[in-house]
Amino acid sequence: MKSKRFEVLAARPVNQDGYVKEWPEVGLIAMNSPFDPVPSIKIENGRVVELDGKTRDQFDMLDTFIADHAIRLAGAEKAMAMDSLEIARMIVDINVSRKEVLDITLCLTPAKLTEVVGKLSIVEIMMGLTKMRARMMPANQCHVTNVKDNPIQIAADAAEAAIRGFAEMETTVGVARYAPFNAMALFVGAQVGRAGIMTQCALEEATELMLGMRGFTTYAETISVYGTEPVFMDGDDTPYSKAFLASCYASRGLKMRFTSGTGSEVQMGYAEGKSMLYLEARCLAVTKGAGVQGTQNGSVSCIGVPAGVPGGIRAVAAENLIAMLLDLECTSSNDQTFTHSDLRRVARSVPQFFSGTDYICSGYSATPNYDNMFAGSNWDAEDYDDWNIIQRDMRVDGGLNPVREEDVIKARNKAARALQGMFRELGLPEITDAEVEAATYANGSQDMPDRNVNEDLKAIEEMMARKVTGVDFVKALDKAGFPDVAQNVYNMLRQKVAGDYLHTASIFDDNFHVLSAVNVPNDYHGPMTGYQISEERWEQLKNIPNAISPEDI
Amino acid sequence: MDQELLMKQIVEQVMAAMNAASAPSAPKACGGCVTAANYPLAENMAESIKTPTGKPFTSLSYEKVISGELTPEDMRIAPETLEMQAQVAESVGREAFAGNLRRAAELIAVPDERLLEIYNALRPYRSTKQELLDIAKELDGYKATVAANLVREAAEVYEKRDRLKKF
Repeated sequence: MKSKRFEVLAARPVNQDGYVKEWPEVGLIAMNSPFDPVPSIKIENGRVVELDGKTRDQFDMLDTFIADHAIRLAGAEKAMAMDSLEIARMIVDINVSRKEVLDITLCLTPAKLTEVVGKLSIVEIMMGLTKMRARMMPANQCHVTNVKDNPIQIAADAAEAAIRGFAEMETTVGVARYAPFNAMALFVGAQVGRAGIMTQCALEEATELMLGMRGFTTYAETISVYGTEPVFMDGDDTPYSKAFLASCYASRGLKMRFTSGTGSEVQMGYAEGKSMLYLEARCLAVTKGAGVQGTQNGSVSCIGVPAGVPGGIRAVAAENLIAMLLDLECTSSNDQTFTHSDLRRVARSVPQFFSGTDYICSGYSATPNYDNMFAGSNWDAEDYDDWNIIQRDMRVDGGLNPVREEDVIKARNKAARALQGMFRELGLPEITDAEVEAATYANGSQDMPDRNVNEDLKAIEEMMARKVTGVDFVKALDKAGFPDVAQNVYNMLRQKVAGDYLHTASIFDDNFHVLSAVNVPNDYHGPMTGYQISEERWEQLKNIPNAISPEDI
Repeated sequence: MDQELLMKQIVEQVMAAMNAASAPSAPKACGGCVTAANYPLAENMAESIKTPTGKPFTSLSYEKVISGELTPEDMRIAPETLEMQAQVAESVGREAFAGNLRRAAELIAVPDERLLEIYNALRPYRSTKQELLDIAKELDGYKATVAANLVREAAEVYEKRDRLKKF
């Protein structure tokens, strides 16, 4: 006889997911592997000669880079001699300030950082996220893409996402040659929705930098680093090339962060028998050593790997915490789809959502999942009300807010028309009124008419050849009768001259006033400190349009 | 994503692999440094910021972009501004980040196309040791000392780890 209960359970979404038993020898283990190195450091004449059990002659490229660049040496021997449990307790102790914790953790090696966070429960990790996050108030980032690379839809979705609260937006491409249109549509659409939103376009490294230099984007994030040397080589980079690339961005006034995450090394087959979290700690040390202000981490596109092993989702939260213990901006993933279960996908996001991180998702899909070109997201446009109501239920600020349908329609329509006008003034293929209409009311690309792709791609090639830049967007928008949008695009370009937003965890408010870990640092030290939801913000968060008011009854 | 397939792939790759077998820049001593108290510089020190073309930040305007008086070359950051931002970073204990901003300040003079080429040359197996040393020398010519030293350091490490161009 078969149990009917088990038959029902077997059919549940959670049992459609894949799971794997730990296999520490090959790195299929989230954290606390018996094969992780024992933390150690030895410094002679101001130079690290031993790191996590290896002497300098045994160093691989990452060890060398980390030893030479990533660790604050003054105080390192003292900090490394401390009991990891004591450091773990300081992280959750409200009487020990964030700065006091950093004074220790900035001196630690990757193996020691891994050991410290390994002492914390998931709730203690969340406490750590609340306290160690760099910027005082949390924020959120979204993906704006679609399967057709339709720029009018990108502009409309970006405008909607802006009024829904996202501070940063990321696009990418189905067809690589479409990148310039996607980037400019995102830029313009975002600035229609709210002044001061930062936008990026994820591409191959050199192309991504080129678009930034031309003023099509205002920041970059897809600068991947890996925790073992062979995987780094497979990624076609080294810590040195990536450090150079980081400086290239800053030299053009562009904000940037690196990307890494647990599971990438085992997925690419070279985990060297180390735990996923230890390898991620190495990635974060490389990020720190390169002098980059922040990271997108939390397994990111490899989430299926840690999610398959015991304690994997705890490790993902722990890696976010290590980023913060290195004083890095933490853009905490919660992006790629990893489960069939709605319960699991919420539970996966609880640590970052409820604790608050610099950017909770990186990103939240601002489209239906079928249009998400980053292989789907854990959260998408069809979950907007779920997110808003969870914020309202728990009284947490997850960076979004309820909106009114008429405001969304208005913003989408204006973004589509602004792009229509800009295309006309730049001599690009026509955006028809029918396309504007469709984008105004669309849910996804299934609601959009097809464009002439060959004509678009030819126009893009020609536009790039004549060296169109962000300055031309400003002029075209002005000429097209959208001076307010043009002004916002101009103000974003102007910020690159001052460079304030290069700093850790920066965002802009709608007056282009920068908010970063420099002028609004997180000062959490117990109840009623740190970020508190203001009365005004709570009004915004709690007032969902479908709540019945007592006066109505 | 088909997770089971992914897991199989992982295990296969793992098996295949088994069978196959400069210190952070020192803070600069400076009197009258810019600090977090001056930040954001666009609001609190606007008079001290200039474009690389020598125009005061306060003279930039939307109208001048529309009239064509300002060009894309005017909408860039200057080395002096990055130095000020590096000092802000140091004032809040971010020495490594400050080092990156100083390295960046040196690279402002390098044209876009050349910068992209140098980045590509630093990728694994792209350059011989001599080619990297030549790039370092070229960067010296731009007075990009910190960046040049990073390239020299890479040349040494790539040689040791066998990541130079193969013939």
